[in-house]
Amino acid sequence: MIKTVKLAKVYRTEEVETTALNEVDVDIKEGEFVSVMGPSGCGKSTLLNVLGMIDSPSSGDYFFNGEEVGRLSERKRSNVRKHNLGFVFQSFNLIDELTVYENIELPMLYTKVASAERKKRVEELLEGMNIMHRRNHFPQQLSGGQQQRVAVARAIVNRPKLILADEPTGNLDSANGDEVMKILSQLNSEGTTILMVTHSQYCAEFGNRIIRMLDGQVVTENLVKQYL
Amino acid sequence: MFQNNLKIALRSLRKNKAYTFINVAGLAIGAACCMLILLFVAHELRYDRWNPNAERIYRPVADIKFGGSEFKLAVVGSVVGPDVVQALPEVQAYCRFRQNGSCLVKRDGLGQPNIREEDVLTTDSSFFEVFPAKLLEGDPLKCLTQPHSVAISKSRAEKFFGSPQLALGQTLVLDNRERWQVSGVFEDLPVATHFKADFLLAINGNQEVKEDPPLWATSNNFQTYLLLRKGADPESFKAKFAALSREKINETGQRMMGTTLEELEKTGQHARYNLQWLPDIHLHSDLTAEFQPNGNIQYVWIFSAIAAFILLIACINFMNLSTARSAHRAREIGVRKVLGSQRSALIRQFLSETTLLAALAMALAVLITATALPAFSDLTNRPMEMPWSQPLFWISIVASIGVIGIMAGIYPAFFLSAFDAIKVLKSQTTGRAGGGRLRSALVVFQFSTAIVLIIATALVYQQMNFIQHKKLGFQKEQVLIIDDAYALGDNIQAFKQDMLNQPGVEAASVSGFLPVPSNRNDNTFSKIREFREDQSVNMQNWRVDKDYLKTLGLELKTGRYFDPAAHPSDSTAIVLNERAAELFGYPDQPIGKKVYGVSGRINGQPKPEDFVEYTVIGVVKNFHFASLRDNIGALSLSLGNSTGAMTIRYQATESQSLIAAMERSWKTMAPEQPFGYRFMDDAFARMYAAEQRIGTIAGIFAILAVLISCLGLFGLAAFTAEQRTKEIGVRKVLGASLGGIIGLLSQDFLKLVFISLVVATPPAWYFMHRWLENFAFRVEIKWWVFALAGFAAVVIAVLTVGYQSVKAALANPVKSLRSE
Repeated sequence: MIKTVKLAKVYRTEEVETTALNEVDVDIKEGEFVSVMGPSGCGKSTLLNVLGMIDSPSSGDYFFNGEEVGRLSERKRSNVRKHNLGFVFQSFNLIDELTVYENIELPMLYTKVASAERKKRVEELLEGMNIMHRRNHFPQQLSGGQQQRVAVARAIVNRPKLILADEPTGNLDSANGDEVMKILSQLNSEGTTILMVTHSQYCAEFGNRIIRMLDGQVVTENLVKQYL
Repeated sequence: MFQNNLKIALRSLRKNKAYTFINVAGLAIGAACCMLILLFVAHELRYDRWNPNAERIYRPVADIKFGGSEFKLAVVGSVVGPDVVQALPEVQAYCRFRQNGSCLVKRDGLGQPNIREEDVLTTDSSFFEVFPAKLLEGDPLKCLTQPHSVAISKSRAEKFFGSPQLALGQTLVLDNRERWQVSGVFEDLPVATHFKADFLLAINGNQEVKEDPPLWATSNNFQTYLLLRKGADPESFKAKFAALSREKINETGQRMMGTTLEELEKTGQHARYNLQWLPDIHLHSDLTAEFQPNGNIQYVWIFSAIAAFILLIACINFMNLSTARSAHRAREIGVRKVLGSQRSALIRQFLSETTLLAALAMALAVLITATALPAFSDLTNRPMEMPWSQPLFWISIVASIGVIGIMAGIYPAFFLSAFDAIKVLKSQTTGRAGGGRLRSALVVFQFSTAIVLIIATALVYQQMNFIQHKKLGFQKEQVLIIDDAYALGDNIQAFKQDMLNQPGVEAASVSGFLPVPSNRNDNTFSKIREFREDQSVNMQNWRVDKDYLKTLGLELKTGRYFDPAAHPSDSTAIVLNERAAELFGYPDQPIGKKVYGVSGRINGQPKPEDFVEYTVIGVVKNFHFASLRDNIGALSLSLGNSTGAMTIRYQATESQSLIAAMERSWKTMAPEQPFGYRFMDDAFARMYAAEQRIGTIAGIFAILAVLISCLGLFGLAAFTAEQRTKEIGVRKVLGASLGGIIGLLSQDFLKLVFISLVVATPPAWYFMHRWLENFAFRVEIKWWVFALAGFAAVVIAVLTVGYQSVKAALANPVKSLRSE
């Protein structure tokens, strides 16, 4: 599903040139759950952004479903993104002015899903995430775990083939963190590919492969024990 | 998607109430000011446009420079109209007006009360052809053809007779003498007409027209309008008119003085006739003998500019606050971008938000305008109404919503939609609001505009104060004027004596010639029994009585004033003002010198025996008998019977009892005649009503401009303080004092206000210098006016920003640091 060849990302300011990704080659098959680990500043979030098509690579190739997407225009990338990808962030990034229901519904407005279908899907997810009773609340009125469940619901409402999660449990306590990881595992078992950045070994082990990065390079790739 | 945008917009507005209030209130006040001013401007531009012939009507006006004086007159001789129609085939008809001034009007019959009417005009039977007012009763072609026929307005028909139908055929008595038969009733003329007319008297049979010499530029008393034929070429008409008028003036010169126009022009004197296009009269004409004070295109421009600037200030607030607040929207934008929103969709979203705000503001603005319009009508002295039924009004409202929404939203929309999704989503904190330099420039623009208005207001106020306190050469305080003293008839002297017997009355004088708007009489006098440009002086000649000097408080410079009891020859004596003495060439020794004037109507060149000899017995110091806009001209006083008004000088404490006594006495001596009086200082102040109004309006708009700017500054200061919360926290932890932090937060804004003062000074000086040039007597523009305006702006800015700064400085640093 994802294949990169010598993918590089360099940030330049007037005096300093920082290499965030240095000729990274990764290969992710459909249905995989891949965790990316590494110390702060190793480039894992940059990798996620580039693979998530919200940032473009400086050089190298990025094939998504066999198609080179690294050099697409912003408009085309946005198009690929909204139909194929879902995002989960550490800080949830819900829109404060929209209710739980409306936040989940939002991505479908961009993909022009019919109104009745939108209603059906949002309600299914509210039910599935066990937040139906919170549907008309605003994000500030929810606990962190509930907010992240809404964020996950929003990420999957368009039924993406790939979910990109950036430290999805970073702002949560362990119980809520577990809850979210279980949801992600569940999604993966239903066939959704997941790429997750995390600091936590515990969370990483929910996946079936761990990519370790250092200074913009992939240093090791291990299968998680349970799959060995 | 639109629904979603709308929802977010509404919720975001509700959540940020203060911000919404500042934006909507600022924009609404700005738009309301703009609407009020535009209603005024539209009213001014509409003058005489109701007349379907307006495009084809021209008014000849005279520009005569002779004998040391120059006249620019709205009136010409009664012969001009007929001469032009006869000579120029382009002209279809002419219509002349002779202003009758105020008249006492009553229904014919015993015991009917007299009512003073102001708008009485003598006019040609062609009136309804040239000015097609709707005739409710009577025949438009015939109603003014017969001598002593009168057409009256509907409102006067109702006032005197109950209805237009009842009025037709009835008789009115004017000034207790003349009987006029009502032959027509017309719909009241629209307010936007440059003259008022309630009584139109038929010119047929008018004595003055019969006696007028058949020469141009000799007697000028008729406003004359020329209606061109349909399809006539105005340019060729103007050229022909210019040639015709030169020919006619030449004829006058040769017959009156034996000189040609060319010879006259060689001596620097001239007589010209120009043409004014009817729609231009109201805003472009300010001549002697206008029907009423006209509007002024200068003020229309100034007001339009003020309207535009105030609206701009309000829009700038909008832009500034939106961009400053952008940090709060950063996350939303990031999320939307990641979820697949295109930049264009975001721009649309933000524009629809600003348009929604603009719509709210406009609705509020319409409310404010409707509420304020009556007061504004009073202020501008123009009766205006909300144009509810006009589609154009609603179209412009909708268009304004669109334009303001886009104008105010375009920068924030582009700025916000350009946010980098990764950056804003990564950082927990709100991003730094960008566009700082542009924001500063916009604040400078706002404050510059406000400072210009403050300076303008201060200078208008100074000039008005200067006029009120200027030594005028006569005493205007504690002087009562009783108008239409002629209504007393033979009792006039008895009434005067009665008044002099009242306690507190110091002097009384009968004369219609006063140094406030009243009678005027312009004549040519000569040092010899012949009019020659090097011997003649054009001057005012006022007929006064022996008590005039004392009552008005004029000062003698040399010689003596009239005393007919001691000097019976004073009936042919004359008193000059300093300017007249100077023009005659008698600056030092005028007493005993002779000057000659022509009395009565002379047809053709006056012979030596037509001249009356006057002996100069005194010179009064110059006094301002005309507006302070003009220099003091030549003037002479001679003994004569002028009963237009009686002036009474009294002691301050006695005014109430005096007025009561006056009215009692009047009612016995002139029963059935309306009694009216005014104070001379009021009459004087009224001469500057237009300027007074400008001052008040400029003041009000200056206050509003400052207020709107402050709203913006207040909001901006709040956001700056919020953005610098962390910095303030760190500084406090490191030991910064409260004062130090307030200074830190305020200094940026103060810098902008100082820059604004520098930017505002040159245009303020230039415009006010131009405005003051309207006055021959004026204040100087002093540097401290600018300093004061700057100081006021600084104080206002400090107060506005201060609150936010103090609040930020007092906040607990632990809290602010933790929240980061």
